[in-house]
Amino acid sequence: MSKKMKMGVLGLLLVTPSFLVLLVIVVLPIVLSFKESLKNKSGGYDLSNYEYLFTDKLMRSNIIFTLEVTVISCVLVLIISYALAAFMRFSQGMAVRWIKRLYMIPLFIPSVIATYGLIQLLGNHGWANRLLLAAHMGQLPRIIFDIKGIIIASLWFNIPFTTMLLGSALTAIPNSIVESAKDVGAGRLQIFFRFILPMTYKTLLVAVTFVFMGVIGSFTAPFLLGPNAPQMLGVSMEQVFSVFHEKEQAAALAFFTFLLCSGLGYFYIRSMIAEESVKNALLG
Amino acid sequence: MLRKKTTVSLLSTALASALILTGCGSSGTNESSANTAANSAAGTATNASPNGAATNANAKPVEFNFYFTGSQNVKELWDTIIPAFEKQSPDVKVNEVYIPSGTGAQPTIDRILAAKQAGKGSGDIDLYEDGLSVVTQGQKDDLWETLGTDKIANLSNVDPQTMKDVSNLAVPYRSSAVVLAYNSDKVKTPPTTLDALYDWIKGNPGKFAYNDPSTGGAGNSFVVTSIYKSLPEAAIHESDPSIEKQWDQGFALLKELNKSVYGNGIYPKKNQGTLDLLANGEVDMIPAWSDMVLEQVSKGLLPETTKMTQLTPGFNGGPTYLLVPKLSEKKDAVYKFLNYVMSPDAQSVVVNKMHGFPGIELSNMPQDIQDSFKGVAEGFRSFNIGELGDDINKRWQSDVAAQ
Repeated sequence: MSKKMKMGVLGLLLVTPSFLVLLVIVVLPIVLSFKESLKNKSGGYDLSNYEYLFTDKLMRSNIIFTLEVTVISCVLVLIISYALAAFMRFSQGMAVRWIKRLYMIPLFIPSVIATYGLIQLLGNHGWANRLLLAAHMGQLPRIIFDIKGIIIASLWFNIPFTTMLLGSALTAIPNSIVESAKDVGAGRLQIFFRFILPMTYKTLLVAVTFVFMGVIGSFTAPFLLGPNAPQMLGVSMEQVFSVFHEKEQAAALAFFTFLLCSGLGYFYIRSMIAEESVKNALLG
Repeated sequence: MLRKKTTVSLLSTALASALILTGCGSSGTNESSANTAANSAAGTATNASPNGAATNANAKPVEFNFYFTGSQNVKELWDTIIPAFEKQSPDVKVNEVYIPSGTGAQPTIDRILAAKQAGKGSGDIDLYEDGLSVVTQGQKDDLWETLGTDKIANLSNVDPQTMKDVSNLAVPYRSSAVVLAYNSDKVKTPPTTLDALYDWIKGNPGKFAYNDPSTGGAGNSFVVTSIYKSLPEAAIHESDPSIEKQWDQGFALLKELNKSVYGNGIYPKKNQGTLDLLANGEVDMIPAWSDMVLEQVSKGLLPETTKMTQLTPGFNGGPTYLLVPKLSEKKDAVYKFLNYVMSPDAQSVVVNKMHGFPGIELSNMPQDIQDSFKGVAEGFRSFNIGELGDDINKRWQSDVAAQ
């Protein structure tokens, strides 16, 4: 056996365990739930469950609502995280030290507890409102049991990790680049849009993927903080599955959510492959 | 070498524990006044008849498996009652199998049924706890043993009507009901009928909340009671889908109430969701489970001013049952345990520990317990509408929540 062949076999052997795990806990369930989702009431197979998903008024509003929450959350998370990460990278002082110490804290608080914390803080009789009332400054609009509550919760859950990701990408930018750009007379905005943003674009894409998937599949916060209708897909899925006992519809809903996520995953993987081939071209 | 050593030590441990067990058994039975001589004889004699275990107390206790499901409070209840029972009857040992709620109650009845169909007795399940729907479900397949005062003397303390409702197939050992909980500081004269309640809700916009019916029984009961308000009384035991046509009036009413309830149509999730609103004063009146209200008032989570009342006709409520699979082989021991559960002693634990209503008639309970349940432990109704409940939740979601 040639050396190359041996290496090939070894490579395959090394990949097998992770492939098997992936097969059993990801691929098979997806195939099974896809099959389940095609079953109709009379036992045959057709697209009736998907038809229901897109024609039922309630389901359609759930899908739109979920996308709305997800897109708004993604945009806000990215803006805030990028600002935080850039601030930590390019500034010094007390504020930076404190942000560095504190920004990870939300990662260590279990989501149920954080959600109840938000209810206590932002609820109608929560202490934010009580403080405002004491200061005669009117009242907050309704945040809990509303779309705003879900978005605030997604910000809380997603900002720390995204900031961490973007932070490491920004740290990787050598100071020399920024300085030499300054030397030839580039302004702050120019440096940002010509150098920093393109150099962190890949990480940004990774971050979008994570936030998007995290928010679209979230359950705890939308369940406890969200309105009764429309619901986010996770909450609706739970209700359809364990309250209405419509297994097939829940499967269709799950598969649709998977499709949404894999759409984003496609862009992510495509850009990764593009990067690999550039690397290979450079090395080879 | 090492393995041999382990085996030896394992064996000796097993032997030692067996000795201790027999020792405990015989010394325990010696304390009970009856059958002392017989017991000590049985402790040494090897040919003691095995099937006389329950009455003729063998030294080795009869162990049976008790499957139950529910929240943590149910587990705590049994953790209190079972040791007390075992202390009193050393010849029976109860093996608790606790299934946290939502994880496998359905499989338990499926297991009993599957074991029966496979000719394997009761599948090692000797006692089982569940609600009315499981009693009816098992009745169709003849899974449950018929129980009576001849087997369990303390069943005479139970309201005969309650036993008749389940054809004597189950022991209603505790119950709870959905009641109207209100803040007595704000509400001086609580409504006593459904119509009065609707008027109150409309007259006090935003001050009433019920939870999303698909997430908890309290809100569900409010919804179901409202829907069945204008239907004949017998309809609440009807699980035939043809009745769904008559729901329109009820749903129209709920839709109309939407703008008068908390937050112009916000229905918090879970039974606890509305209790939280009552606790922080955002609302003044909610439907809630009696045991949750009593417990949270006693722990100081709800203000002292929280009071409860039942409407006429009442909200949903009813007993939780203990069921004996017909094919269990340890029925005598189970009966002995059930007899203890239905004694006033054990029932006091139900009341004090869980704040549930006792399964036996209140007149058998101490006076202070009788007083604390005045006006609350009565008047509720048992709805048994089967799978129609799913349809109500579904329609509520589209008609009321998303109107």
